[in-house]
Amino acid sequence: MDFAFTEDQQELRAVVRAFLARRARSEQVRAGWEPATWAQLIEQLELTGVALPEAVGGAGASFVEAGIALEEIGRALLPAPYLPTVVGATALAATPELQARVVAGDAIGLALDARDPLRAVASATARAAGDDGDSPPLLDGVAPQVLDGALARLFVVAARDAAGEPALYAVEAGARGVRVVARPTVDQTRGQAALHLSAAPAVRLSAPGEGAAALARLGETLWVAQALEAVGVGDRALSETVAYLKERVQFGRVLGSFQALRHRCADLAAELEGARATAHYAAWAVDGAPQELAVTAPLAKAVCAQAASRVAAEAIQLHGGIGFTWEHDAHLWFKRAKATEQLYGTPRALRRLAAERAGLLRAA
Amino acid sequence: MDLRFTPADEAFRAEVRAWLRDHLVGDYAALGGAGRPGREHEGLDVRMAWERELGAAGWIGLDWPRQHGGREATLLQQVIFHEEYAAAGAPGRVNHVGEQLLAPTVLAYGTDAQKRRFLPGILRGTELWCQGYSEPDAGSDLAAVRTQARLDGDVWRIDGQKVWTSLAEHADWTFAVVRSEPGSERHKGLSYLLVPMDQPGVEIRPIVQITGTSEFSEVFFSDAVTAAENIVGAPGDGWRVALGTLAFERGVATLGQQIGFARELEEIADSARASGAIDDPEIADRIATAFCELRVLRFNALRTLAGDPTAAAGAASVAKLLWAPWHQRLGELAIDVRGVETTLAASGDGYALDGDQALWLYTRSDTIYAGSNEIQRNIIAERMLGLPRG
Repeated sequence: MDFAFTEDQQELRAVVRAFLARRARSEQVRAGWEPATWAQLIEQLELTGVALPEAVGGAGASFVEAGIALEEIGRALLPAPYLPTVVGATALAATPELQARVVAGDAIGLALDARDPLRAVASATARAAGDDGDSPPLLDGVAPQVLDGALARLFVVAARDAAGEPALYAVEAGARGVRVVARPTVDQTRGQAALHLSAAPAVRLSAPGEGAAALARLGETLWVAQALEAVGVGDRALSETVAYLKERVQFGRVLGSFQALRHRCADLAAELEGARATAHYAAWAVDGAPQELAVTAPLAKAVCAQAASRVAAEAIQLHGGIGFTWEHDAHLWFKRAKATEQLYGTPRALRRLAAERAGLLRAA
Repeated sequence: MDLRFTPADEAFRAEVRAWLRDHLVGDYAALGGAGRPGREHEGLDVRMAWERELGAAGWIGLDWPRQHGGREATLLQQVIFHEEYAAAGAPGRVNHVGEQLLAPTVLAYGTDAQKRRFLPGILRGTELWCQGYSEPDAGSDLAAVRTQARLDGDVWRIDGQKVWTSLAEHADWTFAVVRSEPGSERHKGLSYLLVPMDQPGVEIRPIVQITGTSEFSEVFFSDAVTAAENIVGAPGDGWRVALGTLAFERGVATLGQQIGFARELEEIADSARASGAIDDPEIADRIATAFCELRVLRFNALRTLAGDPTAAAGAASVAKLLWAPWHQRLGELAIDVRGVETTLAASGDGYALDGDQALWLYTRSDTIYAGSNEIQRNIIAERMLGLPRG
């Protein structure tokens, strides 16, 4: 057993962090989506293909490497559709041509229920009259909250097939019957959009009979990704707060020398370390022990999102008045952390799910 | 990063499991979890026999050098041993202090003669140790130690008092931090002495805890003696040796401890399901939260034990800040699941508590002993976060 990141993985983290230090400064984050930055993320760092097979142009690494990128991108709050793209890409194993497009930079939108990613948001209709059998299935439905949906070239849709069974489909953003409506967000570093599907042609991603498992796997991967991103956000909020407390002088002393503040920071650090270990374990489990994800993934999201929220809330308090201003970034961490809590299952709901799956609680 | 155990580790696990299955029988098996925290006072004679049984089979001193009778086990193999040990429901160890604290200190700082004299007794489970650090005025502040020692010919003469000593009545020896230079202050002028417990100058008084039971004692030294050579490190160098001892606590028993925690949580959940308390959403969430956080404890321990070097600074303090309050909340949960009946004692004979009541009360000590959580916060603030001292 070895919990240490390899030298290559450490190098990847350093490279991504250095890139984001240049490309995701506060004013850049506030300016929002920047296609040139995304292009560099694809062309120079090859991040969307990091966990995809070499056969489609990916790096052939594991989800641990994607996790490192998620953590760093979360840390920087880079406004880019990286999370839905690397998560959605894991559902494309049967369609190498779509994986290749992800490697090349096509962003994915996750058309999932934002409250519960294991529920379908669309249904496939029986074929139209006169269908010769080769036409694609058509999807109808609405996903009201798709992360970075306006940037997606491709949607991965949780739907019910014509037989009423869960299934995953891919839908082209530009296809007929697809309407994407951008929605304003409180966390302005990440957009959302409503996706309306009206007889939209789709490609079936999951084999018949395997849709529920595929959707479960997608949801679990999503929770792990959220956990990793949240740890990045929490780490940023804590490290900036600690740095501030080492500089800010009141009563003739640096604030960080007051035990009341030191102890609060220590509590936050301990919670965050636990969250970090959990997120890293979960990232490894995506490829290394997928059978553990049913329990580990929901609890990782619950624990890490909550840790990030607590740290970000305390970051505002520990910064004092400046932390309440629009000018300071503390509100960006705070809003992202809370959004992560709310999206795709609250910590409370996911704790319950994990405990039910472990047999400790009865299913409601 | 690969979080699977290796085939060699799994083979080691199988060896431990098989041995425990064959030997943890009869009186030993009947002890159940006796000797675990909160039950340190139970079943001592049988546990001492069990310690000798472990020693004879080579399960003590796993990581020691072969020349001193160890098997040079890796850190993870030690973890596996403790995990299997806990999973088998084996009793609490009587010589944790000797094996995990004193032995590594003697191996690192002791003379060859001290290694020959003291290691075999620990290895065979025949000589038990207790720790002589805390004093009434030196709890979290160990450098405030006042117990005096002076060299008188070929013996040290010791006067003073230690406190919070586990298993003092059963220990053959104590390792004590004493002030050997009169007038010295703080961490200067301290020495690390090995002192026999069975002598007229040593008096032991049990401390009655909030549980009504006694697991700790006060130890009084009144002209107690030990041979001049029973000093580890040089006279006046005791602070360095004492901190070295604390640093040897590497948390190999952590995962074993968590198996005990999981068992406690399962019993509470069973009780909540049986009584219907689990239908209270607040109780259900507290059970679910405890479950999730226990996994966090495990992942955090694995990260530290399996070598993520970025987790090193302050990792032991982080672990303490995570597990001790967790265990306290579990104790509260045990009471809240059962409700008002827990205000009645199990019997009128003495102060008899049931398991839930004992857990609830005992866990108040978790955030105090082994470095209070306030001290751990100081350590994290300084070593991990680099915040200046006040």
